[in-house]
Amino acid sequence: MAPVLELRGIDKSFGPVQVLHDVNFSAQAGEVTALVGDNGAGKSTLVKCAGGIYPIDAGQFYFDGKPVQVNGPRDAAELGIEIVYQDLALCDNLDIVQNMFLGRERKRGLVLDEDSMEKLAEETLASLSVRTVKSIRQLVSSLSGGQRQTVAIAKAVLWNSKVVILDEPTAALGVAQTSQVLELVRRLADNGLAVVLISHNMNDVFAVSDRIAALYLGRMAAQVKTADVTHAQVVELITSGRSGELGLHNGSGVAS
Amino acid sequence: MRAGPSQEEIRRHNLGALLRHVHLSGPTSRAELTSRMGLNRSTIMALTADLTAAGLVREELPRQTRRAGRPSLVVRPESAKVYVFAFDVGVDRLVAARVGLGGVILDRREAVRRRGEFSLDEITGALAGFARQMHRKTRPDTTCVGAGAAISGRVSKGDGMVRLDPNLGHEVVPFGEELSRRLALGLPVAVGNDANLAALAEQSRGLGVGCHDLIFLHGDVGVGGGVIAEGRLLGGHQGYGGEVGHMVVNPGGRPCGCGARGCLEAEVGERALLEPTGRYGTRVGKEAVRAVVEAADMGDITAQEALMRVGDWLGVGVANLVNIFNPEIVVFGGMLREVYLGSAAQVRSRLATDALPASREHLRLRTSLLGDDATLMGAAELAFSHVLADPLEALARVSI
Repeated sequence: MAPVLELRGIDKSFGPVQVLHDVNFSAQAGEVTALVGDNGAGKSTLVKCAGGIYPIDAGQFYFDGKPVQVNGPRDAAELGIEIVYQDLALCDNLDIVQNMFLGRERKRGLVLDEDSMEKLAEETLASLSVRTVKSIRQLVSSLSGGQRQTVAIAKAVLWNSKVVILDEPTAALGVAQTSQVLELVRRLADNGLAVVLISHNMNDVFAVSDRIAALYLGRMAAQVKTADVTHAQVVELITSGRSGELGLHNGSGVAS
Repeated sequence: MRAGPSQEEIRRHNLGALLRHVHLSGPTSRAELTSRMGLNRSTIMALTADLTAAGLVREELPRQTRRAGRPSLVVRPESAKVYVFAFDVGVDRLVAARVGLGGVILDRREAVRRRGEFSLDEITGALAGFARQMHRKTRPDTTCVGAGAAISGRVSKGDGMVRLDPNLGHEVVPFGEELSRRLALGLPVAVGNDANLAALAEQSRGLGVGCHDLIFLHGDVGVGGGVIAEGRLLGGHQGYGGEVGHMVVNPGGRPCGCGARGCLEAEVGERALLEPTGRYGTRVGKEAVRAVVEAADMGDITAQEALMRVGDWLGVGVANLVNIFNPEIVVFGGMLREVYLGSAAQVRSRLATDALPASREHLRLRTSLLGDDATLMGAAELAFSHVLADPLEALARVSI
């Protein structure tokens, strides 16, 4: 089966600084693909290229096996790619439903169609087995960190999206809320979405991922099945770009 | 030569199948039942009419339809009226619940159980007391159709006697019989091993729906297991099978309550996590386990080390199970949810090195969708099973 999202040979520079070198990356439906790498390895840049926020310098973009042009966030959203950023971009003074439909409100004639938005929000949360939120008319300011993350993820799922990219969703959370968010991440993929999880926490990566893509100094060191690698191997890929047979070798462009 | 099944037998079977469908999948339209059960429309109508007359389901117009034509009636389980009592005896808690047809918890009572001697009188007394409280609050048009209990112990296939887990005190007790006597509802109480029942619950209404090969690992103080292979729960000769917690993973390792050393539950159970971190004895149970995982997350190195060691042994245990049973899903429930999520890197590293590549290729590791209620829901399913096997007969029996 063709990956839902596939990037081939991506180059990206900011002025004289090249941050992505010939990067290949793919995400399959029904799987969680973890994107790992040290600070500055290029994870966020790669994700922003996938989301159409940064234009790419070279390389191809495939969606559902077909080549596509992504010239901006709107194009990416139309394909069904949603990104949940660390800062979540939720409005504290609005309730859950209002946040989920912010900027894309449904209308009936001239007025907002509150009933159908409420129903859809409820169904979305139910489909994700979210039980932590008491009322969908709660203000976001009254929610805990984990609940906010849940709302931001549900918002990304609402739009029939096919690829959901999560940037460090558990970074600011305690253990109990991290567990809930990890289970939610897993459920998204089990419901058929392609999920990309950026994380520094190896436990989180191993707990929910099916594949691991390790970036090293702007190059894709390896994209492997989680079932086939150990913690030590992934750490090696992150810190040195190679681990035994896996990873970058001198021939593949990394300076020795 | 045996004659084929009689019409009556077929009808009974179909009634059960339809009720099971609605019980597990929730409200379903007649049209959908027709296609899913492969029966014709008039048969579905007749079966639904029988179940409606018996008060087990009711039919309603769907809320809204977008399709043209007359909408198909939706068949709903009578969750508020037909219910069972479900009980869960854990090491640290006692739970009693009233669970409606369709798997809805209508009411529940929970008490903390103090560790120490297992007193049959005290425990069945407390559970029966809870049930009576809940029974008193029910309306007169409701029917209790069964009772089931999950217990941390081995339940004999033959006489239903329960051999308690070492953590509850080794004894052999007539648990179901005594609870049934105390309930005084004229109903037998079906009893099952908690992890076995959790496995069945996860398969019927959790994340294992449609999955034929599933292993449920239930962490209480120790580790219980339920192995479903090729669609059937493995019970063994006497019904004591599936005790994966007493699989020896580390010969000569930590002492286990069962008398052996290095059992999986000795290496990954509560004590293995709490003792090295100096917490054993001061706090126990799920809260204590959670505290260790939290401390590890905050950077406490002794907690991290303990959690990593436990994760490593858990990986060894799961790798053995994967090699033997080739499951599709391994579910971590009870306190093992926290342990797995906190040490997944160790668990899966072990699997990558110790499990056969062919057996682990399509393996999915998941935390329980039913969460802390997995064992309780399993008890409810056990209580409903005779109703689903023969709805009218079971109902006739309780209404006398």
